[in-house]
Amino acid sequence: MMRLRTVSRLGLLTAAVVAGFVTSLALGSSLIPPGRVLAALFGEGARMDEVIVWTLRLPRVLLAILAGAALALAGALLQRVTRNPMAAPSILGITDGAALGVVSFLWVFSDEANRLTVSIHWQPLAAAIGAFGFALIAGGLTLADPRGRGPLRLILYGIALAALAKAAVTLVMIIGPVYRAGQALTWLTGTIGAAHWGDVAVVAAGLAVAAPVLAWLNLPLRQLALDPQTAAATGLPVGRTQIVLLAISVALTALAVSQVGAVGFVGLIAPHAARLVIGAFAPGYLVATALIGSLLVLGADTLARLIAAPLELPAGAITALIGAPLFLTLLIRRQGTHG
Amino acid sequence: MADILARMTQITADYDDQTALDAIDLDLPEGKVIAFCGPNGSGKSTALRVLRGLHRPSAGAASVAGRPLTDWEPRALAREIAMLSQSPEAPDEMSVADLAMMGRFSHRSRFSAPSAADHATVERALKATGMTTLADRALGHLSGGQLQRAWIAMTLAQDSPRIFLDEPTNHLDIAHALEVLDLVVRLNRSEHRSFVLVLHDLNLAMRYADEVVLFRQGRIAAQGPTEAVMTSETIGSVFEIDCDVVTVASGERFIMSRSRAKP
Repeated sequence: MMRLRTVSRLGLLTAAVVAGFVTSLALGSSLIPPGRVLAALFGEGARMDEVIVWTLRLPRVLLAILAGAALALAGALLQRVTRNPMAAPSILGITDGAALGVVSFLWVFSDEANRLTVSIHWQPLAAAIGAFGFALIAGGLTLADPRGRGPLRLILYGIALAALAKAAVTLVMIIGPVYRAGQALTWLTGTIGAAHWGDVAVVAAGLAVAAPVLAWLNLPLRQLALDPQTAAATGLPVGRTQIVLLAISVALTALAVSQVGAVGFVGLIAPHAARLVIGAFAPGYLVATALIGSLLVLGADTLARLIAAPLELPAGAITALIGAPLFLTLLIRRQGTHG
Repeated sequence: MADILARMTQITADYDDQTALDAIDLDLPEGKVIAFCGPNGSGKSTALRVLRGLHRPSAGAASVAGRPLTDWEPRALAREIAMLSQSPEAPDEMSVADLAMMGRFSHRSRFSAPSAADHATVERALKATGMTTLADRALGHLSGGQLQRAWIAMTLAQDSPRIFLDEPTNHLDIAHALEVLDLVVRLNRSEHRSFVLVLHDLNLAMRYADEVVLFRQGRIAAQGPTEAVMTSETIGSVFEIDCDVVTVASGERFIMSRSRAKP
């Protein structure tokens, strides 16, 4: 049974996402008042409004909402599986692994005429290969560490691998064909600018697959908050559950990153915010996490469009502005309690 | 067979690359309060974890409740045996009631909220451990004794007929330790639940256990009814101390160690 408090807070978050959705559609090089946005959405608007809303702005806004939800969920899953509040796709090197996958893909499969030699639809797969590769290396190093498998070790290995992936990305862009560098750079820092309906559909399909699986795994996910021995004693197949949830987390990250670029820290910020808003063990925690992730990326992308218009800032820079200080706070607080 | 809680046949188990159990055979009867005692590192905790399926033995076979350990599905085994390990961990922000509800995992259905039976069992577990008034308190705000009782509440909420407790009196002062062990005996006598406890305090073992298994260097040094096992000779040789077992006026027996370890 959900408490009234939880329901009302989830309602408020949903309302905030809807409000952000309409606002973001209204803002841009030409301002369309919310009333006209709604009219255009329902097919009652002026011809020009409908073109701007449906073709130019709606795919981008929807992509921000969906990718934000995917990244936030990926972070919440990682934090539960590793029992580490500092875990997030961007901190464990998964985001940058996905980025390396995409940049390598663009490099390998481009011809002189700056055209892809294979379909762009393979790009999410390239991201997934990079993401899973780096996740496996970080996990493998932590498991093989003779000095113990502490949660902090995983973070350290992740940060080192993320740095390595970033360096590799830069290297690929420098030694790779020049004509791809500009495109890769804007994509990398996380700009949702070039969104198409196809991109929206890809992320939406991924979330549509993940949602029922996560609903099915909701109780095991809670149970993972206990230490592995205790969780196993209560009847949880711990290893199997961890592997499935990790795979979902990495897949969601790869999916989002392949479409919107390396927008970092969403998977760190959103679960923490959800914890504050409704509590980490309240029913609806994952829903709240997803909604906050949507708000975050939507807000970041909208700001990125407006701050220096007509120039566009990378949305990833804005999420990092919130995320990096949060990570430092968590790191300092953790050292305070665990010496 | 039905009266055997668990059986180990030629079980060898390693822990941190050391042999913790060395080809032991052990039968545990159902329906009793059984204490595992022995020096540090003698293998008693490892034996308990092997029996609960939490530690994979390197050789030998174990069966619980009449079925080989490897045949059990995790949730089904959890409904048969609950276990509280030595240093369990949960997030500080979790409430006592939420922790107790974690014990219901093997009973709960996947999609629905906790059932009336889940809530009733949790309430009973909180009441039995004296934690009802602290149900909404976060674990991070509990004293050591309260925290231990919260964990015992979670273990009881699992509602299994067999319960393993690894040093349940850890962190507890004498009053709370007695309270926990009184509860163990009460649940054993009134609800016919079997208990296997790892106990460090030999006097508590003598007072509360029906049977004792004494471990020494990964082997079983003695097993049987408490009075038969807990003699000054056996305890003296297992722990390498000089001791007397004295009987007080009420008929209760106590161990008095006489001096420090033998040279």
